[in-house]
Amino acid sequence: MAAETPTMQVVAEPRREAGMPTPMVGMLLFIASEVMFFGGLFAAYFNSRADHAAEWGPPGGHELEAWPLATILTIILVTSSFTIQFGINAIRRGDQRKLRMWVGLTLLLGVVFLLGQLYDYSTLGFGIGDGIFGTTFYTLTGFHGAHVFGGAVGMTILFARASQGQFSAKNHVAVEAISIYWHFVDVVWIALYFTLYWLK
Amino acid sequence: MSDQLFGFVLIGIGILFVLAIVFAVSSRMGRSGTPDGPPPRGVHMPNPSFLPVAISIAVVVIGAALALRGDYVPANPWIGIPGLVLFIGVVIAWVRSAGHEWHEVEQRPHDDAHGH
Repeated sequence: MAAETPTMQVVAEPRREAGMPTPMVGMLLFIASEVMFFGGLFAAYFNSRADHAAEWGPPGGHELEAWPLATILTIILVTSSFTIQFGINAIRRGDQRKLRMWVGLTLLLGVVFLLGQLYDYSTLGFGIGDGIFGTTFYTLTGFHGAHVFGGAVGMTILFARASQGQFSAKNHVAVEAISIYWHFVDVVWIALYFTLYWLK
Repeated sequence: MSDQLFGFVLIGIGILFVLAIVFAVSSRMGRSGTPDGPPPRGVHMPNPSFLPVAISIAVVVIGAALALRGDYVPANPWIGIPGLVLFIGVVIAWVRSAGHEWHEVEQRPHDDAHGH
C-alpha cells in the first residue's frame, strides 16, 4: 500500500485591480499643473491691483456689471457641473441613455457659456490693450474660456462615444476623468466671478 | 453689427465648427458596442510621435499672429490662419492616432501579470 503523499495545491488568485486607473492619475496631475497655472494668473491680477489700487477698474468710466449676464453665465456653468455628475451617476448604474442625455446637456450648457462670454466681451466697451485692468481681465477670462472650450471638446468626444454605447457601468473612466476637469473649470470660474465682478 | 461683435460672432462660429469636426471624427473612429469588462490592465505607453512637437509649433505660430498684429485687428491673418489650420490638423491627427493605439491595445493579448 503506497503511502499517500500530502500535496499542496497552490491556487493563483486572480489579480485584483487596485489603486487608481492610469487615466485618472494623469488627469489629476494635469489638474494640479492647471492649479499652478491659474494660481499664477490670480497672483498677477492681485499684484497688479495692489500696485494700481488708486485707478483700479475698467478704463474709460465703464462699469463691470455682475448682473445680468455674468451671473446668468455663472448659473449656467454651475448647472453644467450638476448635469455631468448626473451623467456619471447614470453610467455607474449602467444607464447609457441617461448618460447620453446628461453629457449632451452639459455640452450644450458649456457652448452657451462660451457664446455668452463672447457676447459679454463685445459689450464691455474696453479691450485687452486698454490698461492693466483690461489686460488682466481678458487674460484671466480668456484663458478660462479656452479651458471651457477644451472641456467642450472633451464633452463632444464623450457624447460621440456615448452615442455608440462605448461606456458601461464597469468601463467609464473617460467620463469620470473629463467630469473632474469640468468641475475644476467650474470652480475656477466661481473664483473669477467673485474676484472680477464682486471684489470692489 | 459692429466690427467687434462681428469678430466675436466669427469666433463663435469657429468654436461650433471645431466641435462639429471633433464629433464627426470621434463618431467615425469608435467601435459600437458596450465593453463588458474594465479597460486593459497595465501601463500602455504611447508610440513615438512628432505630433506633440507639431502642436507646440502651431501654438507658437498662433501666438505670433496675436502678437504681430496691426492696429484694429485681433490677429495677423497671414500668420494666424496657417497656424490655426496646422493646429486643427494636428488635433485631428492626434485624436485619430490615439484611437488607433487604443484599438491596438484592446486587440493585443494583455495578460500582463509578469509586467507591462
